[in-house]
Amino acid sequence: MSTVSAQLALIEERVHAAQGKGGRLYWVLLACAIGATGIGAYSWSRIIRFGMGETGLNRPVAWGVLITDFVFWVGIAHSGTLISAILFLFRARFRTAVYRVAEAMTVFAVATAGLFPIIHLGRPWFGYWILPYPNERSLWINFRSPLVWDAFAISTYLVVSSLFLLSGLVPDAAALRDATSGWRRRLYAMVSLGWRGTDEEWRHHSRAYLFFAAFATPLVISVHSVVSWDFAVSVVPGWHSTLFPPYFVAGAILSGVAMVLTLLVPLRRALGIEELVTRRHLDLLSRLVLLTSLIVTFSYGMEFVLALWRGPRVELETLLFRAFGSYAPLFWTMVFCNCAAPLLLFFPRIRNTPIALFFLGIVVNVGMWLERFNIVVTSLSHNRIPFDWGTYRPSLVELGITLGSFGWFFTWFLVFLKLLPAVSIAELKEEVGHPHEGVDATEVAHAA
Amino acid sequence: MSGAGIGRRFFLKVLGATGVAAGCSPTHAPEKLIPLLVPPQDMVPGKPLFYRTVCRECSAGCGVTARSREGRIVKLEGNPEEPTSGGALCARGQAALQELYAPDRFRGPLLRNAEGRLSPVSWEIALGKLTEAVRGASPDGVRLRTRSEPGTAGAIQRVFLAALGVPPDHREVVPGRDEKSLRAASTLLYGRSELPRYDLSLARSVAAFGADFAETWLSPVELGRGFASGRGLPESQRTTLAWVGPRLGTTGAVADRWIACRPGGEEDVALLLLRWIVDPANHVEGLDPQAAPVRTALAGFDPRAAARRAGIPLEQVAQLGSDLTSRRPSAILGSHTPELAALLLLANHLLGNVGRTVSFGQDSLLESYAQPAPGKAQVLLLHHADPSEGDAGVPLVVSFSSRPDAASDRSHLVLPDHHWLESFGDLEVRKGVLAVAQPTMAPLYETRSASDVLLQIGKSLGLKGLPPGDAQSISRKRVSARAAELGAMRPDGEHGLFMRGVASAPAAPEARPLVGSSVPALLSAIPAAPREPALFAFPTALAAADPRAPSWLREVPDAISGICWSSWVELSPRDAAAIGARDGDLLAVGNAQLPLSVYAGLRDGVVAVPANAPELPGLRGKALSLRRISPGRLPRIPGAQDDAGRDLLPTAAAVAAREEHHHGHEHGLDKGIGHEHPPEEHPYGMRPPPSHPVHRWAMAIDLDRCTGCQACVVACYAENNIPVNGAEAAAQGRNQAWLRIQRSIEAAGTDVKVAFLPSLCQQCDRAPCEPVCPVYATYHTSEGLNAMVYNRCIGTRYCSNNCPYDARVFNWQDPVFPSPLDLQLNPDVTVRSKGVMEKCTFCVQRIRGAENEAKSERRNLIDGEVVPACAQTCAARAITFGDLEDSAARINRVRQDPRGYRLLEELATGPAVTYLARGGKS
Repeated sequence: MSTVSAQLALIEERVHAAQGKGGRLYWVLLACAIGATGIGAYSWSRIIRFGMGETGLNRPVAWGVLITDFVFWVGIAHSGTLISAILFLFRARFRTAVYRVAEAMTVFAVATAGLFPIIHLGRPWFGYWILPYPNERSLWINFRSPLVWDAFAISTYLVVSSLFLLSGLVPDAAALRDATSGWRRRLYAMVSLGWRGTDEEWRHHSRAYLFFAAFATPLVISVHSVVSWDFAVSVVPGWHSTLFPPYFVAGAILSGVAMVLTLLVPLRRALGIEELVTRRHLDLLSRLVLLTSLIVTFSYGMEFVLALWRGPRVELETLLFRAFGSYAPLFWTMVFCNCAAPLLLFFPRIRNTPIALFFLGIVVNVGMWLERFNIVVTSLSHNRIPFDWGTYRPSLVELGITLGSFGWFFTWFLVFLKLLPAVSIAELKEEVGHPHEGVDATEVAHAA
Repeated sequence: MSGAGIGRRFFLKVLGATGVAAGCSPTHAPEKLIPLLVPPQDMVPGKPLFYRTVCRECSAGCGVTARSREGRIVKLEGNPEEPTSGGALCARGQAALQELYAPDRFRGPLLRNAEGRLSPVSWEIALGKLTEAVRGASPDGVRLRTRSEPGTAGAIQRVFLAALGVPPDHREVVPGRDEKSLRAASTLLYGRSELPRYDLSLARSVAAFGADFAETWLSPVELGRGFASGRGLPESQRTTLAWVGPRLGTTGAVADRWIACRPGGEEDVALLLLRWIVDPANHVEGLDPQAAPVRTALAGFDPRAAARRAGIPLEQVAQLGSDLTSRRPSAILGSHTPELAALLLLANHLLGNVGRTVSFGQDSLLESYAQPAPGKAQVLLLHHADPSEGDAGVPLVVSFSSRPDAASDRSHLVLPDHHWLESFGDLEVRKGVLAVAQPTMAPLYETRSASDVLLQIGKSLGLKGLPPGDAQSISRKRVSARAAELGAMRPDGEHGLFMRGVASAPAAPEARPLVGSSVPALLSAIPAAPREPALFAFPTALAAADPRAPSWLREVPDAISGICWSSWVELSPRDAAAIGARDGDLLAVGNAQLPLSVYAGLRDGVVAVPANAPELPGLRGKALSLRRISPGRLPRIPGAQDDAGRDLLPTAAAVAAREEHHHGHEHGLDKGIGHEHPPEEHPYGMRPPPSHPVHRWAMAIDLDRCTGCQACVVACYAENNIPVNGAEAAAQGRNQAWLRIQRSIEAAGTDVKVAFLPSLCQQCDRAPCEPVCPVYATYHTSEGLNAMVYNRCIGTRYCSNNCPYDARVFNWQDPVFPSPLDLQLNPDVTVRSKGVMEKCTFCVQRIRGAENEAKSERRNLIDGEVVPACAQTCAARAITFGDLEDSAARINRVRQDPRGYRLLEELATGPAVTYLARGGKS
């Protein structure tokens, strides 16, 4: 038993250490993130002041980088729930060490994604009109519009994923509450909702957590399906495809898991939690990347197959333009990033090299961002009337907002790391207590 | 209580004082805000008033109906009672409003100061200066150069000069280029300097030798309308057009045949045509007896050498000849040089066209274009005429320009004239057709009519023989007298005359005997062989290249090249490749730098530049060296050159074949574009088609009639308050036109086809833009319109993405209407702000206006009562608009035309716009 208590102590110690005063690197990173957010805010203010002309958009390409960013961040948001909820339901024990980071990432990514539908409006100050609310003019929203579905999907997802994160935090926050003082104690007291750790509370907690997991799981599928309908419901060749929902969901998981890898690899080092988040965890995540990458590759192929098989000629022409037209370099970069590079994960050695996974995660996310850009821009660029064909090049303002979205995301994420436990203390302890139930806890013990 | 704050008495005092102050407005009230046409009590705020006047943008003199709202003219339209315009107006006429409200208009007289800059002075000083100069000059030293003024203004000029004792040849009238050659030609052939009148509505075949009659040549509205009346008909009755010239302009683009001769080779082609006509081997029947001397004179003519000089295959002449002789009456137009004009007039004469499509005895002949007297002037008055090289040393150059132009640049004194929309006048556009001009609004600035200036100076000098009264009363008297003389005065008197804007008793065509003596000399002169590369200046209806043109004419792109806000140089694809230049590159042409537009409709070896390019004068008469400098940025509307094989512009034959193919097959979705038809039983998918209980507005556009002149586009800008966004925005794809003329250039070797497609919102039955809007900012009205609620729009731009016709435009920034251009804004149409979507509304304000009027008169709408701005101004009458629910409406008949097709019909959007395919060989 002494080993068990030693392990428990180690877990507490590690997590506490991570909560301590940040090092120089932490503050530099936080300053960079806030600075980037500032650049984004300034860029958006230009759009508000001078109009959408600050972007590179035009007729026919009326959507560009901002919508790309939107879909990208919604995609990032997906893996969090997937890793946490779905793997929880499947009782995949390896999730324990990583799920908190993934959940936090989800919440912050949805919070980032949710900004874009507002930012990209011509009149963002009327953004709330997209929500159904009673008003004296009896104006209502158009439920046939995918953008309304989007508003519902994103807000639901934000609420559910926040609740999911917070409900998982309750026992941990209580543990921290009892070990800290001052404003932190008050914060943890609030988050812990008066948790005392009684049996009944544990019973309710595990029920509630299961409920949220079950509730969040279909959202993973539905939210990104809804986002894909923004495109699939239209009549734009290159968008109008029944393939889109599964294709988008797979893409979202690919980019989300890749993002988790990119975040986890430096994090486990920086926070000194390599014993908690082990190479085996990384290996399993990278297998998920490999699987979704193969699905995405299949979807790319299917687009061409469907267009060749029965689609109207414009459909094929749009795809050919995507592959060989003005944006061809972006297309082939995307193919390399999303289809070719992840094939390296077939090699166990790569899967066991954290630094390789870190870079591969970045490569995949560059690819996934380009995928969304290709879908959004190339289809509009060569729409049905050739006389109106045009090209689009993002402006500095749009790139500034994109940078700002990363700043915004990482600001939240870095603050989260210092405020709340990045790994679940309670669940890790549970593992230690029941070594026969999983392999992970043993690994922790060995590592210790 | 009264110690603090405002007491009752003090309040009343302030109230009284403010009232008095408001009553005594310090600025003087304009003299006549509403001229005599309508009594002032008729001016109801919100209701337009209409005034008839005459357009003076070119020498054609089209009648104009000016729509006034609260004392400001907001829109110009043609005058349907006047035979020249026939109710239509060209792009330039539409844009005249922007000359009126031009921000750079002169606010008052200007005098060039010691630094060489024009600075404002009072009228007293300015007139005093001119009076002194005239007094000090010898009678021989006063000269006046004027645009053609066949009316009161011209008469006053003549009387003034006569009273001064100035010889008549000191008044130089500057004729249009086309007019000058035609007068010279008729002098040569008929012995009289007379302008023939062309009536293309009678012609069954037309050959235009560089005469862009639908854009700028002579009287484009009248000629374009006449020509189009023979288009859109079955092949046997359809008027054919052959275009002779090195470049296909917009008029050339609608031609059925293109003879791409070298620049300057037109005379050779004309000689070849004459020879073909008189050649007995060709058995041309019904030739004029004068054919025999022509045959004799052409005996020594070498057709092969001529064809070589012109750079054309000889067979093309035979094809042209058989067109013109088998489909008679024909009309042959052209006037680059007096010789060319004479040769073509002779051809017309031989074919018996004179007296039918080409008629004499119509020229009002009020102006004489005598050669100006030699000698130096001391005082030169420029009345809307440009200075010339010889004016360099003149001590006092006075211009009556109302805006900065070439004349004001060279003048010492500027006495700004009223804009023609602010002045009285009259114009006998042709014999028996007296167009009456009246002010349509009070002058915006301290301008004075040039005629009044002359009269006033005459008075100050104490000249004898000047008519009493001012220009207005003289003009009115003259108009009434001339109308009475024509027998065109009706019982409603002068009031009726101004109401109609025209007194018309057209003179009958007169026969003219050919004076044969000059023919042999004309025919024996061998035209000089053209050199290569040859500079070719092509006229354009718009003015992208002209930095001083109104902004609408610069914003609306050239129909062929899609270029706006810039001058450019055109080369054929082969010539461009030869110097290693690509489309859009910056070229050094002679000593000018011009961006290159590669155009397949241009003959090899020709360097083409728009005629209104400021660089053009510097290029003339010099060796043309061409060199690529760098890749440049050509302000051009983005888009593909052609329809990329998507069959958006089928010919009538192709549409018929498509119909047949469709009927021969089971319905269902075929593969490929243009051959797909929606399944017939459920053209609208799961949902029932929308119901239109009262009206269903629809449009038909006859592509066989459309000449690509773009008057409709400019009219749309004027009517719908469309902002002008400039060159950079255009190149970026942010031109905001609701109606655009798309063009397709298909080139296969020398066979070049250019076609136009006016594209606008199709007001679909099942518009894809509607369901995707999250806030119902766009929806289908019960009248079939795809309505746009600007107030509700939040700017997601999804509708724009989802519109398969790309009909929607977004406000990328707040629109700017530099003062006083904002006075032109149509108060019936919202000025949109940044961040909202907009598009063609079928001029919903006009529909509502007509509906309300009908309702207040307790009657139904009459077919043709609602006319959108584009259809209204179309000289070719290519656009039909009406209510599909009215079974008797013309639109229902037009839509049944077998040439009819709808764009992207396979999408089952149910567009309300039907296109009638162009005829001719496919």
